[in-house]
This record gives sequence, C-alpha cells and structure tokens, in this order.
Amino acid sequence: MSQPELSNHPLHFAAAFGTGGLLSFMVLFNGTLAAYGSLFFASWVPHLTGSVAALLFLLVLRPKRAQAARPPLWVYLGGVSGAVTVMLTSATLNSALALSGTIALGLAGQMVFSLFADMRGLFGLPQRMPMWRDFVALALIIAGSLILIFFGSST
Amino acid sequence: MIFFAALAILAGVLVSLSRQINGRLALSTSAMESSFWNHLVGLVFITCVALAVGGLFAGEPAQAPWWAYLGGPVGVVFIAAGSWLIARIGAAQTALMIIAGQMISGVVLDIIMGAPGNMWARTLGVALILAGMWVAQGRKP
Repeated sequence: MSQPELSNHPLHFAAAFGTGGLLSFMVLFNGTLAAYGSLFFASWVPHLTGSVAALLFLLVLRPKRAQAARPPLWVYLGGVSGAVTVMLTSATLNSALALSGTIALGLAGQMVFSLFADMRGLFGLPQRMPMWRDFVALALIIAGSLILIFFGSST
Repeated sequence: MIFFAALAILAGVLVSLSRQINGRLALSTSAMESSFWNHLVGLVFITCVALAVGGLFAGEPAQAPWWAYLGGPVGVVFIAAGSWLIARIGAAQTALMIIAGQMISGVVLDIIMGAPGNMWARTLGVALILAGMWVAQGRKP
C-alpha cells in the first residue's frame, strides 16, 4: 500500500492546531444540545446532519479514490469507536471525575495509545519512533492543558 | 472510582483508535469519504443502542437554539482533517496538536463569552502549550 511521506511541514502542524479549534466549537454546539435533550440526542443529531453534510461534500468535491482495491471491512468501524467514546464519557461525567477529570484522563489515554500506535505502525499507518523532542513537547503541552483544565476556569 | 477512571482512560484510547482506523480508510479512499463512513456507521450504531435503551428524544430538544444543531457539519471537517493528518505527521503529533488547538481556542472562546477564569492560570497554560508546539515543530520527520 502506498503511504504518504511523514513530514514536519509547518502547514500540517498549523492544520492540526486549527482542527483542534473546530473541536471547541463541536463541544460548544453538542454540549448545548445535551443541555436541552438527552446525551444520545446530542450525539445522534451531529451524526445524522454530519452524514448528510459529508455526502453533499462528496457529491460536490468528488475526491479521487486513492486505490481501486476495496479495503478490508474493519476500516469502516472507526465510527463505532467514536460513538462508544461518547457513551463512556457520558458515564464518567456524572461520576466523581466530573468534566475536568474526564478530560485529563482522556488526554492521557489518547497520548499513550497514540505513541504506542506510532511506534508499532498499527493499522497500516506509517511507523514513527518518538524522539526526545517529542517527549519534551508532550510534557509542555500536557502540563499547560492540565493547568487550564484544573485552574483555568476557576476564579 | 477506579472503574470510572479506567472508563475515562479507555475513552481517550478510543478517540485515538477511531482516528487511526479512519486514517487507514482515508489511505484507501479519501479523507472526506472516510469522514462520511465514520458518521454513517456511527449514526447506525447510536440509533441501534438508543432504540435498545430508549430515551433518545427525552428532555426538550426542540427548545435548543438553532446554532446548537451545527455540530454535525463541523464534525465532518474535523474527522476528515484528522484522517488526512494522521498518515502525515503520525498519531501522537496529530493528537498533541489537536489538543493544543482545542485548549487554546477554548480559552479564547471563554474570554469572548465572558466565562469567569483565573487569568494567571490561563496565561501560564497557554504559554506552556505554545512552547510545546514550538519544540514539536522543530523535529526532523
């Protein structure tokens, strides 16, 4: 399978940073839905409108398929993993962990598994060994995030 | 407590897992097609669980402001971007930069919306995150 080259292009970093900004708006929009309806509803609606929006994008943009061969069926299950995430966090939000604990532990799980996946090149994605620089960046960004999560919104 | 902590960690693992699987699908198709399947398969799954558990339309969802319904299209771009980036800068860098972007934009949104907050903590947190991004960006591929 042909893979794109791993890069350290500043534009890619900027794009990922901007993508994180989108997440803030999703949390605001979907969180507001959850304040009025059920947590199921707050996840069901964006999946429904998202499916329609993605279909429209596909019809308008008509992106080229990277490969003619059909990929294995399991690659279509990413959405299940995402939906289970919502259900898990709705359980932990109402526990003693509350929002800050849920986010902080979620960041930890996400980073550890991402590093593991990079080192092994899981799921046919390119392998990428972390360097000392990556761990310094990780420590700084996670430290800053934890300060914002636990101290940023209290007066 | 330990049970809920494990669930919260698992939720983070699943965020990364989902991005990797979608990234793999994007390698075979395209980032937007990957985002489409992510939403459609997720929709079918949530519908099945909601039908089994019940209470999908509980509360007063019709009272929500119209803009609260815009999360779906934003999510489409979010999933497509993550699927595209993960094969190019790796799972860890993608996750780290998305976290940085979410945290800093969250502070900006809070300030714009007038949410109360500790200015010192906000300044220190944002400064540490920016320093981390600067370090990460200097890496050789």
